[in-house]
Amino acid sequence: MMGPEVNAYLIVAAFLFATGAAGVLLRRSPLVVLLSLEIMLNGANLALIAFSRRFGELDGQVFALAVMAVAASEVVVGLGLIVAIARRRLDLDVDKLSTLRG
Amino acid sequence: MGNFIVWVVWVVAAFACLASALAVITFTNPFFSALALIGNLASLAVLYLMLSAEFVAAAQVLIYAGAVMVMFLFVIAYLGRQGDAPWAGGPSWQSLAAVGAAGVLFIEIVVALGLKAGGRLSDEAAIDVFFGSPHEIGRLFLTDHLLAFEITSIVLLVAAVGGVILGSHARSGQPVDSAPLEVQEGRSR
Amino acid sequence: MTTAAWICLLSPLAAALVITLAGTRISRRMAGRLATLSTFVSFGAAVWAFVLMLGRAGDDRREVSTAWTWLTAGELRFDLSILVDPLSVFMMLVISGVGSLIVGYSIGYMDGDDEERRYFAYMALFVFSMLLLVQSANFLLLLAGWGLVGLASYLLIGFNQQRPSAVAAAKKAFIMNAIGDATIALALFLLIWEVGSLSLDFTSGGEGVPLDGTVATLVALGLLGGAVAKSAQIPLHTWLPDAMEGPTPVSALIHAATMVTAGVYMLVRLSPVFEAAPEVQDLAAGLGALTLVVAGLIALVQTDIKRVIAYSTMSQIGYMFLGAGLAAYGNAMFHLMTHAFFKALLFLGAGIVIHALAGEQDMRRMGGLRARLPRTYLAMLVGGLALAGMPPLSGFFSKDSILASALAAGTYGQVLFAAGLLGVFLTGLYTFRMLFIVFGGKASTHVQEHLHVPRRSEPALWMALTVGSLAVLSVIGGWLQIAGVWHPLSDFLHTAAEPKVEPSVTQDWVTAAISVSLGLAGIALAWWFYGARRTKVPEATAIRRALEHKLYFDEAYDALFYRPAAAVAREFGRWIERPLIGGSVSAAAAGARGLGGRVRLAQTGLLRNYALALAGGLAVLTVVFLSLSS
Repeated sequence: MMGPEVNAYLIVAAFLFATGAAGVLLRRSPLVVLLSLEIMLNGANLALIAFSRRFGELDGQVFALAVMAVAASEVVVGLGLIVAIARRRLDLDVDKLSTLRG
Repeated sequence: MGNFIVWVVWVVAAFACLASALAVITFTNPFFSALALIGNLASLAVLYLMLSAEFVAAAQVLIYAGAVMVMFLFVIAYLGRQGDAPWAGGPSWQSLAAVGAAGVLFIEIVVALGLKAGGRLSDEAAIDVFFGSPHEIGRLFLTDHLLAFEITSIVLLVAAVGGVILGSHARSGQPVDSAPLEVQEGRSR
Repeated sequence: MTTAAWICLLSPLAAALVITLAGTRISRRMAGRLATLSTFVSFGAAVWAFVLMLGRAGDDRREVSTAWTWLTAGELRFDLSILVDPLSVFMMLVISGVGSLIVGYSIGYMDGDDEERRYFAYMALFVFSMLLLVQSANFLLLLAGWGLVGLASYLLIGFNQQRPSAVAAAKKAFIMNAIGDATIALALFLLIWEVGSLSLDFTSGGEGVPLDGTVATLVALGLLGGAVAKSAQIPLHTWLPDAMEGPTPVSALIHAATMVTAGVYMLVRLSPVFEAAPEVQDLAAGLGALTLVVAGLIALVQTDIKRVIAYSTMSQIGYMFLGAGLAAYGNAMFHLMTHAFFKALLFLGAGIVIHALAGEQDMRRMGGLRARLPRTYLAMLVGGLALAGMPPLSGFFSKDSILASALAAGTYGQVLFAAGLLGVFLTGLYTFRMLFIVFGGKASTHVQEHLHVPRRSEPALWMALTVGSLAVLSVIGGWLQIAGVWHPLSDFLHTAAEPKVEPSVTQDWVTAAISVSLGLAGIALAWWFYGARRTKVPEATAIRRALEHKLYFDEAYDALFYRPAAAVAREFGRWIERPLIGGSVSAAAAGARGLGGRVRLAQTGLLRNYALALAGGLAVLTVVFLSLSS
């Protein structure tokens, strides 16, 4: 079906990526940082799918599926860390978790 | 007429996508951020459908929105309300720099697209009806991209093990809520 | 012939290596037996080479054997080769023969010492080095042997590492020898420049040396410098008395019989070079005569038994320098051999005395040992008579041959002849002074308390047998060359070093008569003062004090060389080393530390800062890549 060109999808993907990056850099709660990370990954996925459609190759979609699997794993580990931090009664604030300070 | 509906659906989906993304990063309560992300995922699924990626769209809804986000919501519920006042105290140099960097990234990508791609991204390749079907994707996974398939399964295994370890109680018998680690006061610069 | 020479050379090296590598796996006495066996094997090989050589005609007695090419530099080539000719075989016999006797004696002397193995390894190393020195077929290898001998001497003088005086003496010996090494090296540089080769080919006689004039003089001077240092002649003699800090067998082997004679060997071996520079040869003879007299005078006031013998060595080597300097090579080598016999005998006998008195070396505490150590007394008496040149003992023949040559060598030679006669008188005097003080009179209280005659045991047997053998050699050794009657030794050495003076029979007899009378006069004077009469020695305080201070040579060197050098080093340390060199290193360290401190501030530990850095970097890199690829 006719619709917007691939360009349009790519701009949406770029916007998603930038928004996710801003979220990672701006928010102090690790939970929200993780959510912003997810947005970035989704932006990348969208770009992959769009290019796959443009060139008629399914490799892009395969890549996107792999990205989804990896994102899921990363969320598991990240949430595990957050729960562990919360159990130790530390503040869930990335600015306060700085024992790696040099 | 068909084309017009396509365009309308596209605009709505795209707008929902962008708005929910902004919502994720601006809400104070992480619970609402998570809900906004679910909305984002759903609109993305619609966009995937429009790009003839049926299987990926289904996987997105099932796995991402269905499993991953549910896990997120579980954890948020477990942790309770986190008082987070991200927008208090006015913009610091960190936030300004962050917005600046993000903006620059966005503009760069757009410029790159415009400069490098020229008019080449305007066309679409011809595809058949099996494009994006599970049949084709499965075939690719098991032939050309077998290695990626296997490695991904290992990554998932590692993540599962990691999750179990991180979530288990301390083995030495100390109570979980022992004295917290010393925390350094960090100012965001 | 060369096979025998190689065996002779390598046998002690093998022993040194085995003893070093075996470490504590072999017993201490086994180490001693190994070392002795290796030197006896070496002696056997030398005898074999000698016999083989006798079977050949006179001009066919020179052979060179090359192991491999040591180094090449441009057109220069230096091989690892040994030279077998009458002179080197003669030296091999003396070194390995006397060396094996002394190493055997050491089994007895060093018995019970904790570090015996190290001692015997060093002794074997020394014998190897000395053999290398006399067997080398080119200057470079000779210099290598020269240096190794100096090293072995350093190691053995400083053998008792716990004694600061021994360590200081070892350093002094090494440094003074190093001065000699440096002059030799300079001579070698000149040789390479002028001649382009360092081989000793010219020693085959008859060809002469392609040097003349100033170059020859400079080369000869450089070589003489090394000889003077190694043989402890004036002015580089101050290390020898201090070297008595080493164990007595070391003094016997290195500082009497062999190493200090290396200088004489060099004068004879390189005689063509010296004959091309006659002034230097005359200088050598003059230095020999000077040392002869001065050392004899200083020996008159020494109280340490080993120091007396040390100064005596210095004096006798002066005789050898005198002979070689006057081109009487055969006679000089003859005296080298007999001197090795009776000087080693004297040292080893003194070692028995020192051992029996539990390490006491001061003669003033000795006395009356004649009755208590009769056989030792007999041996030392033989050695003393030989040293004083009394017929028919060996010293008579050899010393008088040199004096007669001096008489026959023109006006200059006759002046040196007079000096030599004075030396004969002094030799008789100081030698018998020592004998009368140590063995004559009544036993001192120290002797009565501490005398301990060794029982029959393997160590004591070694000591007795070796001393006895040396006593026999001191008696018969001189019969190898009786002036005017037969001279097989000179004939043997003729092809290697042709002497330029031949004393007539009259001169021989006149010399003999005068020197024997002077020697007897010296002995009589010693008897007058130190023997039965015990008359008081005349005071002459100023002279006595000067002699006791060894004519202030040490003090002069200290003021002239050591103090300025130490001052320069101190000032360099203060103004250059510490601020500049040390300072630059500290500055580099401080700089690194400071830089690290600044960079460390970027490690805030805050996640957001790191992420911001990532994002910023990504932004910049994207621009870069975009612009580069368009």
